[in-house]
Amino acid sequence: MQPRTLDRILQGRRSQPNQLIEVLQDIQEDSGYIPEAAMRDVAQELGVPLMEVYRVASFYKAFRLKPSGKNVLTVCMGTACHVRGARLVLDQATGQLGVNPGEVTRDGFFSIERVNCLGACALGPIVVENRSYRHHMTPGKLRTLIKDISRQKTKGARNANA
Amino acid sequence: MPTLSTFRKLDMLRARLREQRKSITKTVAICGGTGCQAACSRDVIDAVKKELSGQNLSEEVRLCVTGCHGFCEQGPVMVIEPGNTFYCHVTSDDAPEIVSRTVARGELVERLLYTDPVSGKKIQREAEIPFYMAQDRQLLSQNRMVDPCSIEDYIAAGGYSALTKVLKGISPGDVVSQIKASGLRGRGGGGFPTGRKWSECREAPGDEKYVICNADEGDPGAYMDRCVLEGNPHLVLEGMMIGAWAVGAKKGYIYVRNEYPLAVKHSRVAVKQARELGLLGDNILGSSFSFDVEIARGGGAFVCGESTALMASIEGQVGEPRPKDVHTVIDGLYHRPTTLNNVETWANVPAIILNGPAWFASKGTRGSTGTKILALTGRIKNTGLVEVDMGTTIKTVVYDIGGGGVNGNKIKAVQIGGPSGGCLPVDKFTLPVDFDALIEAGSMVGSGSMVVMDEESCMVDVAKYFLTFLQDESCGKCVPCRLGIDRMLEIVTDITNGRGTPQQLDLLEELADTVSQTALCGLGKTAPNPVLTTLRYFREEYEAHIKHKKCPARVCKALITYSIDAGKCNGCGVCLQGCMHNAITGKKKQAHVIDAALCQKCGICRSECKFDAVLVA
Amino acid sequence: MLQYVNVNIDGAIIHAIKGASVLDTAIEYGFCIPHLCHVPNLSDIGACRLCVVEHIVNGRANVTTSCTLHMEEGMVVQTNTDRVRNLRRNLAELLVAQAPNSRAIQDIAVRCGVRKVRYPFRNDDCVLCGRCVRACAEIWRAHAIGFVGRGKERHVDHPFGVRPKFCKQCDYCIQLCPMTITPCNGPMKPGEERFCGNCESQLIIAEETGGCSWCRLGEGFGCGRYVGSKAR
Repeated sequence: MQPRTLDRILQGRRSQPNQLIEVLQDIQEDSGYIPEAAMRDVAQELGVPLMEVYRVASFYKAFRLKPSGKNVLTVCMGTACHVRGARLVLDQATGQLGVNPGEVTRDGFFSIERVNCLGACALGPIVVENRSYRHHMTPGKLRTLIKDISRQKTKGARNANA
Repeated sequence: MPTLSTFRKLDMLRARLREQRKSITKTVAICGGTGCQAACSRDVIDAVKKELSGQNLSEEVRLCVTGCHGFCEQGPVMVIEPGNTFYCHVTSDDAPEIVSRTVARGELVERLLYTDPVSGKKIQREAEIPFYMAQDRQLLSQNRMVDPCSIEDYIAAGGYSALTKVLKGISPGDVVSQIKASGLRGRGGGGFPTGRKWSECREAPGDEKYVICNADEGDPGAYMDRCVLEGNPHLVLEGMMIGAWAVGAKKGYIYVRNEYPLAVKHSRVAVKQARELGLLGDNILGSSFSFDVEIARGGGAFVCGESTALMASIEGQVGEPRPKDVHTVIDGLYHRPTTLNNVETWANVPAIILNGPAWFASKGTRGSTGTKILALTGRIKNTGLVEVDMGTTIKTVVYDIGGGGVNGNKIKAVQIGGPSGGCLPVDKFTLPVDFDALIEAGSMVGSGSMVVMDEESCMVDVAKYFLTFLQDESCGKCVPCRLGIDRMLEIVTDITNGRGTPQQLDLLEELADTVSQTALCGLGKTAPNPVLTTLRYFREEYEAHIKHKKCPARVCKALITYSIDAGKCNGCGVCLQGCMHNAITGKKKQAHVIDAALCQKCGICRSECKFDAVLVA
Repeated sequence: MLQYVNVNIDGAIIHAIKGASVLDTAIEYGFCIPHLCHVPNLSDIGACRLCVVEHIVNGRANVTTSCTLHMEEGMVVQTNTDRVRNLRRNLAELLVAQAPNSRAIQDIAVRCGVRKVRYPFRNDDCVLCGRCVRACAEIWRAHAIGFVGRGKERHVDHPFGVRPKFCKQCDYCIQLCPMTITPCNGPMKPGEERFCGNCESQLIIAEETGGCSWCRLGEGFGCGRYVGSKAR
């Protein structure tokens, strides 16, 4: 994480322990996870014990302590999505990618997240792919989506080698 | 725009805005809520904008990007005035035709009209759609008239006149009395009398007090708060201002869950605009009332919908609930008296002030007045947000508004109130949506989420689902919740795997009772409800799993087998290609076979087969 | 300035310090209320729920933890009704099924009336009572350990899993930990878990009406009756 970015995030918030969650939110948005070094800086600048920063970062699901995959697939597991077969959609994701929710594929290209209700219940099952909401998902549709995104990866590699 | 430093200036602004809007004869309102955006309404909005300017209609036609209308399944939705024409499933390709025919000439584009699933007929006018007709959309109807990012829209529609009325001449004590007389009860889940809460906070000792809007809406299946906050944030702000005046608070927070980025954005815009106009800050409208609001984001924790956990989160700490032996109206945020109310509760306040408490109390039942927004989802034809008078029966909501079950399936149950609520069977559908009536039946109105289940839902699996959810969301501090839910889940999982015993049912009930009495917070206390209600009303399903090792709804994986009906299978091979476990074999054009030993019952083959050849038994 | 109030505990009128917890006061006056996460002179968080009592308000009995309930004038509390004894028994059963590898946990279970355990045993090495965490935060203010994660994942750890330099190595955390008190017949390896149910001193208390008998559990455990607390 760039020191300048952290500086910007901390502006107006130094020595204010109650700003801890807002600061971590901004770091998460910028880096995709909360680096250890950032936590140490935040502890010092906000005046919060390091243990407390680590505790808060590990408590809330919004914060990841490890980098996520390049493409994050978030499957909604809310009640309405559940009765419409969200479990099968999640099983498709874990089966096709070979990782569990919260984990990253070995090539770092995908990671799967679960979320308990995004509030788009009438359109479930929902999968969020890189901030894009995909609705009425089925295992088949997800299989195609993952294949399409994977194709971009090989295209990117080909372009890089060309 | 200059600051509104007097009441008169606000009145004058309102008059001026209304005058400006008179020249606009036509309006195209497109839903920009999260649901419709998922269905690409942004593309539709851009396309319509382009067409309007291309056809030189931008001057006389107002394109209004509104908040959620509630009829999400039909999205993207659009309403065109005059004519009250309702179009659904609109795509950007439809834009040229919509503008040139309907907007310019008043002609209908038939294919975009809504088809009533019950009668099969096409309906033109939004007001005639049965889904909307049976509702009493006091709060939701405002969504389709205002652009949530425009304070001018809100003011032109009459916004902030309730605040004016209060600041001009209703004392804080009188405001509290009015809210008490209206009978308004918390819309977030607790159903606590709002007037009493405000009164206790007002009388609590201390100069520094807070009001908080709980927009954490964690109940899976609930999105009414998202809809109101995304679609009409100023309505919520105005309610909070009136509440702050009543209890004596100078600072307020809107706590929005992190999974609602659009609601966060619109709340921030609303606060910024209100500050610019001087409707937030010192000496609002020239009165003695000073008040400001900050937006706080959740970190992704259902437990933060609990009031003390929410306050801890605003304080920058983990969202662990605190014991509430002293109520938060006396010892709340930063240990100061705090009034925390749900989004919908705050949204109801301005209308109560403008129309009087008797108007509000005339709707609903004696114990549950006013209207309630319900999120009707699940195995039902018309899913979406529904606003009805309290006291409306579940039957009316599910069948008249919801249109009944899908695929001709029989409806089996309705889950009301989220993970703290309970499942009610069909013979209880005559019950009204009423705080006390539902608590007596073992459920609760809760946030108002209603998930409909049919014969393809296994009620034991539903209990397992909720326990899994609560185990995931538990903060883990107290023994009954952390260990109790875990053990209840262990027992229910055994039952769904065909390893349950009758003694386990008794243990389950005893444990559920202990957890509900000893848990530290509401999450733990109400965690046993899904288990207790399914045991009470669907015991035969539990017994089928235990005695006969069968899942009547054919959901529990350990108790079902997948097979292919050779008579229907034509060997197309689609299932074989989709199977991730290599469990299907077969030659082209010959009936395929599933190897039960390899089959993981993921259901993909069944969902892909176009010939209904995959059987589940 | 200490203020005093008159309260009713189990029918006895007690002259208590206003604002002291019901638990501290009850122990001071010789009522035995079982507890786990409470440590005299550290903050009370109400995590174990074992100290539940019935608080009578307007004729209704509210079940609440005595460690977080503070003395007010005229308060009426019942510490040993059938209702709270049943609740404590079920809670203690959950605890001993989760972490049987501790004499303290086994004793508490016997004392709360557990006679058989109806759940499959697990062998956790931490009951998440938080005594260690609060000691580190409140006595030395080192904040070298704390709770990490949520729900089932909740556990006690150092920041980033590494003991920091600011850990004072005072060993208070170890001294207060109930899991360091080994079962009478030695540690229980995985597969060897069972419910002892034999401890005589605890069996006696379980039969009694809730008075303090200066038990060994309390002595090893730092019970307020031995140590002295804010209620004195």
